[in-house]
Amino acid sequence: MADDEDNGSSVLDADTFVETEAPAVIIARIEGKSRQVERLLRIPQYTEALETALMDAPTQTRDEQCKAANWILVHRVLMATKDVDGLLLGLNPELHDVLMKYLYRGLATGDRITCDLCLRLHEKLFDMAGIGCIMRAISDTQNLV
Amino acid sequence: MANTLRPYLTCIRNTLTAAMCLQNFPCQEVERHNKPEVEFKTSKELLLNPILICRNEAEKCLIESSINSLRISIKVKQADELENILAKKFLRFLSMRAESFQVLRRKPVQGYDISFLITNFHCEEMFKHKLIDFVVAFMEDIDKEISELKLSVNTRGRLVATEFLRQFT
Repeated sequence: MADDEDNGSSVLDADTFVETEAPAVIIARIEGKSRQVERLLRIPQYTEALETALMDAPTQTRDEQCKAANWILVHRVLMATKDVDGLLLGLNPELHDVLMKYLYRGLATGDRITCDLCLRLHEKLFDMAGIGCIMRAISDTQNLV
Repeated sequence: MANTLRPYLTCIRNTLTAAMCLQNFPCQEVERHNKPEVEFKTSKELLLNPILICRNEAEKCLIESSINSLRISIKVKQADELENILAKKFLRFLSMRAESFQVLRRKPVQGYDISFLITNFHCEEMFKHKLIDFVVAFMEDIDKEISELKLSVNTRGRLVATEFLRQFT
C-alpha cells in the first residue's frame, strides 16, 4: 500500500527483537559449558564435548561477545578432535543446523588450519545432513550464530 | 596445495546448489521494474546471509544470495608481484567481455578479483547444475591459466635476455 511508507523498516529491525536473556547470564552459562567441555575433552569424548558446546547456542541474542565466546568454545572442540569422521557419526541430528552455521563462521575466519578443518567437516556434514542443512544455515537471518 | 582444493571446490559447489534458488520477483519500490535484489539490497527480507568461504589467507569466495539473484565474488591466489599483475590483467580482460559470458559482472566487487551475477532469467534459460559446473570449472582453470601465463612470461624473458646478451659475449 502506498500510504504504508514507514521509511523502510521491516519485521527484521533490531527494535522489535526481544532479548530473552541478559548477556551476562549467557556468558555465565557458556563458562559453565566450557568447564564441562574441558572435562569431556580430557576423557576424551569428542562427540559429547561437541554436543555440549553446540547445545543452547546463543542464537537468540544480538550480543556479539556471547556469540564470540560460544564460537571459541566450539572452535576449541573442533581443533582438539583427532577423529573427524567419528565425531559427526554420533552427533545428535538436531544439532546439525547449528554446527553448519558454526562451520560457515569458521570458514569466514580465513585462518588456514581452521578453514582446512571446516572444509573437511563441511563435506562430511553435507553428506550426512543433506542440502537442507545448508539452506537453513543461509536462510536463517534471525538466529545468527 | 591440491589437498585443500578439492574440499574447497566441493564446499563452494554445495553452497551454490543451496543458494541458487531464484525466482522472478518484480521490484517492490518501483513499479514495472525488475532489478537483481542482491545488487541493490534495498529490502532486508529479500536477502539471505552472505557466505564467505576462505581456503586460506589469500583465497576466498563470497556468495551473496537474494530472492532473484546471486552474486559470487572470487579472490584468486596471487603468490608474488608477477602473478598479481597477470591475474589483474587477465581478469580485467575477461570482465570487459562480460556481455558474451552473460553471467559475469563487469566490475568485481570491492576486495575481490572477479564477480559473477546470476539472475533468475539465467536460471530459466540455462540449467542450474551447468551454471554451477561453469563457476567451479572457472575457479579451477583460473589457477592453471595464471600459472601457464607466468611460465610463458618467464620463458620469453629468458629467451630474450639470452639473445640480447649474446651480442656482448
